[in-house]
Amino acid sequence: MSVHLRLVDVSKRFGPVVAVDRVSVAIEEGHFFTLLGPSGCGKTTLLRIVAGFYRPDTGHVFLRERRITDLPPQARGTAMVFQEYALFPHMTVEENVGYGLRMRRVEPAQARRRIARVLELVGLAGLESKYPHELSGGQQQRVALARALVVEPEVLLLDEPLSNLDAKLRLRVREELRDLQRRLGQTTVYVTHDQEEALALSDRIAVMDGGRVLQVGTPEEIYFRPRSRFVAEFVGLANLLEGEVVAPGRVRTACGELLVEGCEVSGRVLLMVRPEAIRLQTRPFGSNVLRGRLRTRTFLGATVRCTVEVNGMPWVVDVPADGGQLPEEVFLEIPPGRVQVIPENGR
Amino acid sequence: MTALARWELRRQFKDPGVMAAFVAGAAVLALFVLYPTLRVLTYPSLRDYLEVPQSVRWVQAARNSLLMAVLSTLSATAVGVAFALAITRPDIPGRRVFQTVALLPLFAPPFMVAFSYILLFGRQGLLTRTLLGLDVNIFGLHGLWLVQTVAFFPLAMLVVAGVLEGINPSLEQAARNLGASEWDVFRTVTAALARPGIAGAALVVAISVLADFGNAVVIAGGAPLLATEAWFRMEGMADLRGASLVVAMLMIPTTALFCAERYGVGRRRYTTVTGKGSRIERPPTYPALRWIVFSICAVTTILVVLVYLGVIAGAFTAVWGRDWRLTLDHWHLARDRLQSLWASLRVGVGAGVVTACTGVFLAFLTSRASSLRWMLDFLAVLPGALPGVFVGVGFVLAFNRPPLELVGTPWILVLALAFWHLPMGYQASVARLKQIERSIEEAALNLGADGLLVLRDIYLPLLRRAFVEAFTVSFVRAVTNVSIAVFLVSPGNVVATFAILNMIGNGIWGGAAALTTMLLVLTFLTLGVARATVGRVVRAVPVS
Repeated sequence: MSVHLRLVDVSKRFGPVVAVDRVSVAIEEGHFFTLLGPSGCGKTTLLRIVAGFYRPDTGHVFLRERRITDLPPQARGTAMVFQEYALFPHMTVEENVGYGLRMRRVEPAQARRRIARVLELVGLAGLESKYPHELSGGQQQRVALARALVVEPEVLLLDEPLSNLDAKLRLRVREELRDLQRRLGQTTVYVTHDQEEALALSDRIAVMDGGRVLQVGTPEEIYFRPRSRFVAEFVGLANLLEGEVVAPGRVRTACGELLVEGCEVSGRVLLMVRPEAIRLQTRPFGSNVLRGRLRTRTFLGATVRCTVEVNGMPWVVDVPADGGQLPEEVFLEIPPGRVQVIPENGR
Repeated sequence: MTALARWELRRQFKDPGVMAAFVAGAAVLALFVLYPTLRVLTYPSLRDYLEVPQSVRWVQAARNSLLMAVLSTLSATAVGVAFALAITRPDIPGRRVFQTVALLPLFAPPFMVAFSYILLFGRQGLLTRTLLGLDVNIFGLHGLWLVQTVAFFPLAMLVVAGVLEGINPSLEQAARNLGASEWDVFRTVTAALARPGIAGAALVVAISVLADFGNAVVIAGGAPLLATEAWFRMEGMADLRGASLVVAMLMIPTTALFCAERYGVGRRRYTTVTGKGSRIERPPTYPALRWIVFSICAVTTILVVLVYLGVIAGAFTAVWGRDWRLTLDHWHLARDRLQSLWASLRVGVGAGVVTACTGVFLAFLTSRASSLRWMLDFLAVLPGALPGVFVGVGFVLAFNRPPLELVGTPWILVLALAFWHLPMGYQASVARLKQIERSIEEAALNLGADGLLVLRDIYLPLLRRAFVEAFTVSFVRAVTNVSIAVFLVSPGNVVATFAILNMIGNGIWGGAAALTTMLLVLTFLTLGVARATVGRVVRAVPVS
């Protein structure tokens, strides 16, 4: 696969605020690429730099190795779905979707065919003559998507497109979106602060904070092998504890000594264990077992989330809900292979 | 009346307090809005109406009025749109200056633009004759066109700016993103979305142009216009029948425009806010557009500043056009002139208090009573459709005989102005009351405030603002009014604007300029005090 969109050393300041700080990423053709981060991390700014709404202060944007940094938004072929959809309120669904084609001087008969096809694709056939305010939130969202897709963009840009939908609809549209993107093989850049959305949708994820990209990887890599405290904490729940490598594969922590598979660094490290990786036992059994006190239990349906205090440190543990009770004294079994070592101890 | 409405009426009227208030409100509106209106319309006989087309002068006046309505509306709206663009786009140079300057004409007495331009651009004009050595005759419809453009563009600006501010910048970004060029973006999105707002602005301007008496009487020269013709009939010929005919003719287009604005265009505005979302910074304005907008605004700004400078210069110049020495002579105001200023102040305070009290009271009533409220609402906004000269003639006809013989007393002017301004006071209060959602009241109750505390903590602070706004707007417009004052002043209580108009007519320019400057000081002092009390009130001013 070839690189479709490449950002090289892109920075953008707004006054004293550094919104995007020397970001370089490469996005492969046909990939669903997500920029994930908390609000204010610069992800939307980065997306708008790709769209051409902002010019970066430094660095460049390449589309198929062609530099487009200086091209105006009109000339880029990067269609965007806005967070608030930005549907033209004075145009019907058909006119909204056809707008990009009209601007490209596509011949009317052909434009009509393309509009019909894309409306069929997003399941809006029959609503051509409705105005945006006559549609539900989910339908408006599809119009926005259709309007971007119909121009057959090089890269599709999505700015938190699901955030205005209610929870149930969001799940459904999310799946449809993923399915559609796969079928069309459409290179897509997606912005979200919702880690679950990012994990579910993406081929690759770039986690951002403070204007910088902290880590790029597949959802599995991001979730299981975070390379910084921020990524570990932002994506999913994480039990983090600091420690010192005393021997290869052995780390001393405030909760005792732990066996850690594949620990090849030395000195101070940060360890991460996901809540679902830990086994909760009523008796000490096996290796790598910590004794603790059960503090809280929260029933979540399929699982029960427990907080267990070990040597004054709270651990979050997810166990399958089986309706049974747990004693106050419990034991945490931590499989050495499920402990992730984060070398960088700072962030 | 349907059975349901009857039932509703009975239910409401079981509460004697509500019933008494409702009857009182309806009676006041019937007496001071409906009755004068009907008096004007029924004063001429049917034959009088039918003979109108045979009067050459009236046909000419109607034609001139309509011509001015078209020309001045087009130009004032165009300039207003340019200003609206300038103040809503951060990259237009000088936008803060434009923003301030554009509001100045709103506070000037209605004849001031015309008067100042005579001083600057007329036969004796400082710029035309003294500096450029030209012999320009500014009197006539062309002069009026220029004057009305400068006087009324702020109305268009305020309406259009409101609409432009409401356009979500992401829409423009979306268009760009879909391949629209800058010109396409402006044409297919910005302008298309603003179109209903611009139409509404044009209607508001057209009403003001048609009803414009002050500028027309000063600068139109010999050209007959409907608004001034009514006064000539009354003053020159004591022809009440003719005067009422003319203002009735004028009422037809203004009412039609008013209804079109209120019930047609006004409702077609697009709300472009769709859900939440971050506001994107507006992209740079299309360079050609930027410079066109800047040029229009810059030229107009100079013209507006000149309005004020011209009058102030006139107040300090010995003999305009001949002796340019500076002097304070015009400021030795004769006793009768000072009296006229006092009379203006009294009338202004009276009108302000009556407008504010009635407006708040009626707004409260229509927010509570559910049936029949349309009737009160209609009567409370109706004066907005009536030209000042119509109200002037109406009050003369309605209150020149017992049992309510008010002609000759200062009260008639106070009441006429107060009820002419009522729509502004009423609508300001309605807007404030709408802010008080039921849930806010419920929240206060829920948090332990009882009925009286709700009134004190929720309603009074919000209505205080409405009251001050209504008072200020009514006051400012009352002390600067001429269109009604000319019909209702009596020798004992001449107001300043009437005195100024007479001085201009008699060529006493220095005195007129000095007294106008005094009026301006009074106006801006009042606005300053109001602003210190409740913050900006400017936005409440232009609802005509």
